[in-house]
Amino acid sequence: MLAAGEISSGKQKPPRHAVTDERRNSTHSNRVTPSAAFLPDADSQAGVVTSRGPAASIESDMLKPLPLNRWNRATAAHLLNRAGFGGPPGAVAALASRSPAEAVAALMAQKESGQTPDLPWAKPDPHRAEIAARIRSAAGVERQALVAEQRRKALAETSEMQEWWLGRMASGPDFFREKLTLFWHGHFATSIRKVREPYLMWRQNDLFRRLGTGSWRELLQAVVRDPAMLVWLDQAQSRKEHPNENFARELMELFTLGEGRYSERDVAEAARALTGESLDRETDAHVYRTSFHDGGTKTVLGVSGHLKSDDIIDAILAKPEADRFIAGKLWTFFAGAAPGEKLGDALAAEFRACGQRFQPFLRAVFESAEFYEPEVVGRQIKSPVQWLITACLQLERPLPPAPVPSFMLRTLGQELFAPPNVKGWDGGAAWINTNTLLARHNLALLLVEGETAFTAAGNRLGIGAAAQLWHDRPLTPPADPKPWFAEADRVGRNRVISAIEHRFFSQPISARPREALLAAIPNNSHLDNVQLRAAVRLALCAPEYQLA
Amino acid sequence: MRTLHTRRSFLRQSALGGSLALSAPAFVGATFRELAAGQDRPVAADTGRDAPILVVLQLAGGNDGLNTVVPVNNDDYRRARPRLAIAATDALRLDDTTGLHPAMTGAKELFDSGLLSIVQGVGYPNPNRSHFRSTDIWMTGSSADEVRNRGWLGQYFDNACHGSQPPAGLSVGRSTPLAFASERVSGVAMQNPNSLRFFPGEEDSMKTTSARYRSVSGGGDIAALGTSEEVGASIADVAGSGPASMNPVDFLERTALDAQITADRVQAVAARGKANAHYPTSPLGNDLRFVARLISGGLATRVYYLSQGGYDTHAQQAPAHRGLLADLGESLAAFLNDMKAAGALDRVLVMTFSEFGRRVAENGSGGTDHGAASSLFLAGGRVKAGLHGRVPSLAPADLVNGDPKHEIDFRSVYAGILEHWLKTPSAPILGRSFHPLEVV
Repeated sequence: MLAAGEISSGKQKPPRHAVTDERRNSTHSNRVTPSAAFLPDADSQAGVVTSRGPAASIESDMLKPLPLNRWNRATAAHLLNRAGFGGPPGAVAALASRSPAEAVAALMAQKESGQTPDLPWAKPDPHRAEIAARIRSAAGVERQALVAEQRRKALAETSEMQEWWLGRMASGPDFFREKLTLFWHGHFATSIRKVREPYLMWRQNDLFRRLGTGSWRELLQAVVRDPAMLVWLDQAQSRKEHPNENFARELMELFTLGEGRYSERDVAEAARALTGESLDRETDAHVYRTSFHDGGTKTVLGVSGHLKSDDIIDAILAKPEADRFIAGKLWTFFAGAAPGEKLGDALAAEFRACGQRFQPFLRAVFESAEFYEPEVVGRQIKSPVQWLITACLQLERPLPPAPVPSFMLRTLGQELFAPPNVKGWDGGAAWINTNTLLARHNLALLLVEGETAFTAAGNRLGIGAAAQLWHDRPLTPPADPKPWFAEADRVGRNRVISAIEHRFFSQPISARPREALLAAIPNNSHLDNVQLRAAVRLALCAPEYQLA
Repeated sequence: MRTLHTRRSFLRQSALGGSLALSAPAFVGATFRELAAGQDRPVAADTGRDAPILVVLQLAGGNDGLNTVVPVNNDDYRRARPRLAIAATDALRLDDTTGLHPAMTGAKELFDSGLLSIVQGVGYPNPNRSHFRSTDIWMTGSSADEVRNRGWLGQYFDNACHGSQPPAGLSVGRSTPLAFASERVSGVAMQNPNSLRFFPGEEDSMKTTSARYRSVSGGGDIAALGTSEEVGASIADVAGSGPASMNPVDFLERTALDAQITADRVQAVAARGKANAHYPTSPLGNDLRFVARLISGGLATRVYYLSQGGYDTHAQQAPAHRGLLADLGESLAAFLNDMKAAGALDRVLVMTFSEFGRRVAENGSGGTDHGAASSLFLAGGRVKAGLHGRVPSLAPADLVNGDPKHEIDFRSVYAGILEHWLKTPSAPILGRSFHPLEVV
């Protein structure tokens, strides 16, 4: 429909959208084209395209669907790694047996929540006001005890919440939604260290899960009013007499436009416009305080008037830089490296054509040929979360019991609900340094050989650090290698290595570590469980295992 | 495979030289491509053991310089901060117009003993108020309008630390800072002496497992370096093309190798190092104690990097800032005490920095927003102690966007440290000439 309209409206409305839509019609005919609703008329859309100049004709060649002849086990595994957290060979095979469009649709379809039970305390606390009042009226030792009690509770709940989220990631079935929620957590990076109330962090997490696939505008409107965010960037306390610029600045710098795409004056004026968005500490709910709001005229990003928070969001989203920023950031997260100039343009145009909605945009990304190029596949350094969840799925083993997974992630540099700062985790090569790489190698022992072996190894080296994690409960035993190796795979080291590669690696192990592995595996006619586990653990220390 | 042959010859020569410690640097100090291309540098005689040491301490979040080094009897200051101004009677007076925050008793002691230098009004033109951008500017030594991907300390490693014992730089914590980003000579991150030990799986084959692990992960068996040609050859097989475009597998192998070399060395050094001073029980106190152990134990590392977080005080600043500064002052005092006990006081220079100071005027939340120029500390046995630089005017008419104008470019401080302390030309590292501040 839109394509036809564009062509009849004529002129230089070229190839790009026409081709894009043709492609859409051919690959998934039931897909709605949301851009019709978003953009008032074809002329203004043509204007957007024309303003990008000569690149437009080149862009029309980009983001076309992956040809069927390139769809195979490797590309299916890549999709599963990136749109989800990877999986055992069976899951890859199931995906590979469908068409690419079907596979993407299946991964992205919303699913009933899995087997992870809800957190019992994740709801408004009816006693909240009462407890706050009791703390306020108490004094001295009594007050200290009450405060300490609250702190203990918050610590315990934070830990439960980390395990709860990891449980959802590891047990599925909505792997894509959890992966995207993880993206939003890193994007709107908010930390319990300042927010302090686990319930508020949980609410924000739930918000990302509910709205993360929808419209950018609606998500931003919700984030502005999100209690955890109101605390995190001090917006709750911003008043017209002294506007607090923290949220206004990060909104433009880190969340929507990028550094340098706004002026200092835009920050100051946006901070004035945002005054009034606040938090009722008694109920933990967002509240709009008219008395805090600066009702004067402001000019932000060229838009003037008695602006309020939603006007700021509109002014931001009207900028082409906004499309480029978030589309590029999503590409970077899922594809592993920042897009080049041309691809960045194409992604921005696609995002706008999708009505600034994430589900159709990401579908186009996952279906695109660019997403399966050699410089994308197998070259992303796994985040600690990805490393842990993928390993458990591949080992076909549940996550270790709480609080071990959250301990592992803290050690590896990705503590959930506690990103290092509002910029989130840098990701990529920054996940890896001498410290975190060695920790991955050591924690592979825990995953494969169990807590018993891990503790024994630590004790032998005089590192008792892990012991307090499991003081009272029985330690997890070594994993059973049965699901990893068919009987025929246990015969001889070459078979063993092939089976390991097939299950655990996105790309062949390179020659040198492969030789070292070969040397380490006894060339028996039949390898026993101890030998197989040792081989797998060693393989997980190969450089290629850090990549997906 | 002439290149492998070169590599093997080199290994053999090192082995004949008899010192394992001297053979290791080249593996870390040069890229794998250089190794593979046979461009080994001669092993330097300078092991770095007696070289000057720089300890860089980042006050992350933007330290409020005006409430750290307080302008006393300054009406502009008092007017701008009705709630937050430090009273002249509370400040620890340094001279007629300046005092330290009352919590900084540790720092005051250092000042009185001639071990502390305070440089005021440090910043750069067109200051950026983003934490991340401004931190990057400080870390890379760039101008406000320029993006660099290598750190100023990384450039120093590349330019001046070839052949010194690795690691040239050690960052205490889980990550290496952008300031360490380098082309050839790398810095490492570690949290404590045991944080880089590999856990072998089975007791009966511990030795074998560890050796094989080193081979699989990308390192070599360091203990076997002097004798085994095989390991040397396998290292040379890893041909990378330099970190900027290094493929991820090479990068991972190099990191594994760095970890193994550092682990071996640091464990030995930390075991004999001593740190008996009284540190606060804080992350900063623990980190500085660890550094004190490494220095007193004789680690040849040139630059240590630490970070103390929490300075982004947009709201309810007073109690938080007080705690941070008390911790900072006491930790520094304890560290220098340990350096004195180790006879290393004259070999150590500590520099603090923060990405920016804070706005002169307080905000409505009992805090301060992002600002610009600020003061920094230099501490050590040989610093030019006292107050340096002019205090920028706080008169409203003299402020730019509510911030004081900088008087000293931070790169002049870097240039001073590079030229006068680390004894290396600063222009190649900073990309242009800055007047080197007389820091020592």
